[in-house]
Amino acid sequence: MRPGDPLNRQMIQTQSPSSRMPVRADQLLTARGVSKHFGKTRALVDAALTLRPGEVVGLLGANGAGKSTLSRIISGHIQPTEGKLSFDGAPLVLSSVRDALRQGIALVAQETSLAPDLTVLENIFLPDLATPGRLSFRAMRARANDLLSGLGHEHVLPLEAEVRTLSAAQRQLVEIAKALALDARLMIFDEPTASLSATEVDRLFDIMDRLRVGDHALAFVSHRLEEVFSITDRVTILREGRVVAEDVATSGLTQNDIIQHMVGRDIGAIYSKRKGAPENFGAPVFEVRNLQAAPWVRDISFSVRAGEILGLGGLVGAGRSEAMEAIWSLRPRQAGEILVRGAPIRIRKPADAVRAGIGFVAEDRRAQNIVPDLSVRENLLLAQMGQHRGFLRGYGRRAEKVANLIADLGLPADRLDASLLSYSGGMQQKIIIARWLLTEPDILILDEPTKGVDIGTRSSIYRILQDAADAGLAVIVISSDFEELLGLAERIVVISDGVSIADLPAARLTEEKLTLLAAPRSSTRRNQALLTDLVKAHGGDAFWTLLDGDETICLAQTGGGLSGLTPGQVAIAGETRIPQAIRARADRFVAEADGRRTLLTQMTDRRGHDLGWIGLTLVANANLPEAADIRTRVQNLTRMEN
Amino acid sequence: MAKPAASTPIQTILMRALRSLEVRMLGLALLLAVILSLSSPFFLTERNIFNILDQSVVIGIVAVGMTFVILTGGIDLSVGAVFGLTGIILAQALQVMPIPLAIPLAVLAGAGIGLFSGVLIAVFGLAPFVVTLGVMAIGRSLSFIFSGQRSISGLPPELDSIVYSTFLGIPANVLFLIGLYLLAWGYLTYTKGGRTIYAIGSNMEAARAAGLSTLFYSIMPYVVSGALAAVAVTFSLAQIMSADPLAGNQLELDAIAAVVIGGASLYGGRGSIIGTLLGVLIMVMIRNGLNLMGVSPFWQGTAIGSIIILALLAERLINWRSARN
Repeated sequence: MRPGDPLNRQMIQTQSPSSRMPVRADQLLTARGVSKHFGKTRALVDAALTLRPGEVVGLLGANGAGKSTLSRIISGHIQPTEGKLSFDGAPLVLSSVRDALRQGIALVAQETSLAPDLTVLENIFLPDLATPGRLSFRAMRARANDLLSGLGHEHVLPLEAEVRTLSAAQRQLVEIAKALALDARLMIFDEPTASLSATEVDRLFDIMDRLRVGDHALAFVSHRLEEVFSITDRVTILREGRVVAEDVATSGLTQNDIIQHMVGRDIGAIYSKRKGAPENFGAPVFEVRNLQAAPWVRDISFSVRAGEILGLGGLVGAGRSEAMEAIWSLRPRQAGEILVRGAPIRIRKPADAVRAGIGFVAEDRRAQNIVPDLSVRENLLLAQMGQHRGFLRGYGRRAEKVANLIADLGLPADRLDASLLSYSGGMQQKIIIARWLLTEPDILILDEPTKGVDIGTRSSIYRILQDAADAGLAVIVISSDFEELLGLAERIVVISDGVSIADLPAARLTEEKLTLLAAPRSSTRRNQALLTDLVKAHGGDAFWTLLDGDETICLAQTGGGLSGLTPGQVAIAGETRIPQAIRARADRFVAEADGRRTLLTQMTDRRGHDLGWIGLTLVANANLPEAADIRTRVQNLTRMEN
Repeated sequence: MAKPAASTPIQTILMRALRSLEVRMLGLALLLAVILSLSSPFFLTERNIFNILDQSVVIGIVAVGMTFVILTGGIDLSVGAVFGLTGIILAQALQVMPIPLAIPLAVLAGAGIGLFSGVLIAVFGLAPFVVTLGVMAIGRSLSFIFSGQRSISGLPPELDSIVYSTFLGIPANVLFLIGLYLLAWGYLTYTKGGRTIYAIGSNMEAARAAGLSTLFYSIMPYVVSGALAAVAVTFSLAQIMSADPLAGNQLELDAIAAVVIGGASLYGGRGSIIGTLLGVLIMVMIRNGLNLMGVSPFWQGTAIGSIIILALLAERLINWRSARN
């Protein structure tokens, strides 16, 4: 790190955010001058890292910056070409993962080190299975329960379940428990949130908090900046194999500081709003009505107009990807209508959709998009070949179009015959998008288009999509990254538990509102039950809504409709029938002009997040229940839930 | 294969050429030819060269079908049995109908068997290895039943014109082989179907999502393989003038070996028809050379097995090196 760097001055700062443990001076692990060469490639040059007990250090960088190389060196997966490590004051030489584990250093990878056919219990004690002698399953079970309850009692796992039946979040829990079973004092979380939903991320951070309080040293590798701010005490930023900011307190940084260090230049705003007037969209070009594809997709409807970017928001597992795959006839559909320019079309195989003018960038780049043995040129032309009906491959006729497109997108023209796998993730993604632009579609569907794409390439992908929309394409983007969705889309359809529950302009939403809207219905069952109970006990209309200034976004509603709120809709106070109550937000029943009365009670979770308001609207002459009673019930709801 | 620009120095041209698998295989074949011609004075005679080509016909034809199948990531263990069974069908048909009817019938029978395997594999998702293993057992068993457990001779003498007529001094069967390889090469390189076969073997899901007809082109290679087994047995019958129910025993192994020596990946997506041709020639040359040198036929298996393993090992080492750079 250069001495003149603005971040250098902040290194002295020791104040860590909120009520966390104070930063302590003793270092658990230091790495100095670490380099790693793969052949001619220098993956890591003179890197340094310091980890202390009771601290979370963010290890940041774009793709290929060397974060993974550094974490793999510390966890013994690979050996450095040069450099010194020291652990607990003594020099550390690791020749294998086993060495690292013995020292108490564990890498929590993305579900890679688990044996899917073994049970949770066997996986937690997998390293023990290799030791000779009899195992006491009873003792192991007791220990496993101890470990898991140490992570918080809500994280109880069925010990006898086979790991392959678990969700990504649960597998991660097994990984963490496995590390704890080895008494790991240092844990490296390598992009742990990549496949987790927002709620699951919150839970993971809870666990990391506990580990931090328990004096573990943690390293957190991630792309997502907002996560870095919410969990790390310090950050070390890498770029092109070199450390560009070392051990800087997170509290003294802004998002822009970090991006600038990761990318090496100011890339400006990642999301720049389109200039095209959103009012001028025409008739819908693509419509899906009541799509059903068991078991994930239950009832999904949406439509998109020419020139519009529509976002499909929701949690991982809500059925968004599955709905797209059902449209693309990669999964069986039970019901639903698909209309292109108002006319129903039948899609019995993907080629039907391609020929109807739809393009589809599937979620899993490696498994669903890239044909690794074909060259970049052939990968570009693949959908084109699926579209045309001739006998010959027809590459020659399209050579000019290919040349124009790669010039437009800034792809290297001289490497068209190379393997697609030799490109970075971001470049691969651009090529896959180009594959579909080449078919000149009217509708382009993209499922998680920036997954595993570094921040610099991300903004250029956004620009490609905005340009496509400006040129009249209807663009549909699925993303679990709500920030991306809000920054990119004009309108957002929220999908939860396989049902499209809301269709809202992006301008009226925030990440928090989107998170609440997207919450799976199963996790809100208790709230729904409360609404039903309230209506049963007092009559009238009970609802659960978000309030933001003058605006309401209703999440659920039961009863006679006295409030004028409808689930999944945005309304400003004046459009509802209870404007006075919404404006007042008082601790009591507020009367409207026509006499109907409404009580609003706010819910918050343990971390203080706004979970919305529970409301009860009664007719003018009804007997009013005690406001305090209802408030207690609402509070109990959130206390018990967490 | 990359076409180097005219201005590039010879060294780079050579390096680039060596990067192509086919060029390396050609090098191996030539090396083998030099060694064999040094070890035996009879090897490099015109007569022996035609001998080698003649011996390449049957395995060469079958290897084309096998290349199609292996490129999709499948395998066809039934070609030897289909070869035997369609040979019996052809011989029996020739007893009751003229040659121009009997041959298409046999080829159709071969294609039908391939269709059966292909549908089981592509539609029902059964493992190619197991399906064709089953078809192999059925085919061999049926060829014993249809033949009455003995060889069938007494074939019409005009049949041998398929093999023994020549054009420009080249025997008809060798001409057919060359034509077949040209056709297969053109198909796999320049048509939508050919590229689809590669894409299926490389990443079936991506090929399907891109709108390619993955179902049709997953079945088609097995049909081609079955039909070509019947074509191959036609040439064989015309030479031997008798059909043996055991004919083509272990032919599938020779065909797979040729395709693998030719650089194809058994996982699919990688390989070429030129490579397969070189693989066939390498195998036949080794057999032929060892025969000329008077080496016991029992040693031939060891020789060919070693070549296969060495070729694969060399490829892997080269790939590791290039991956590291």
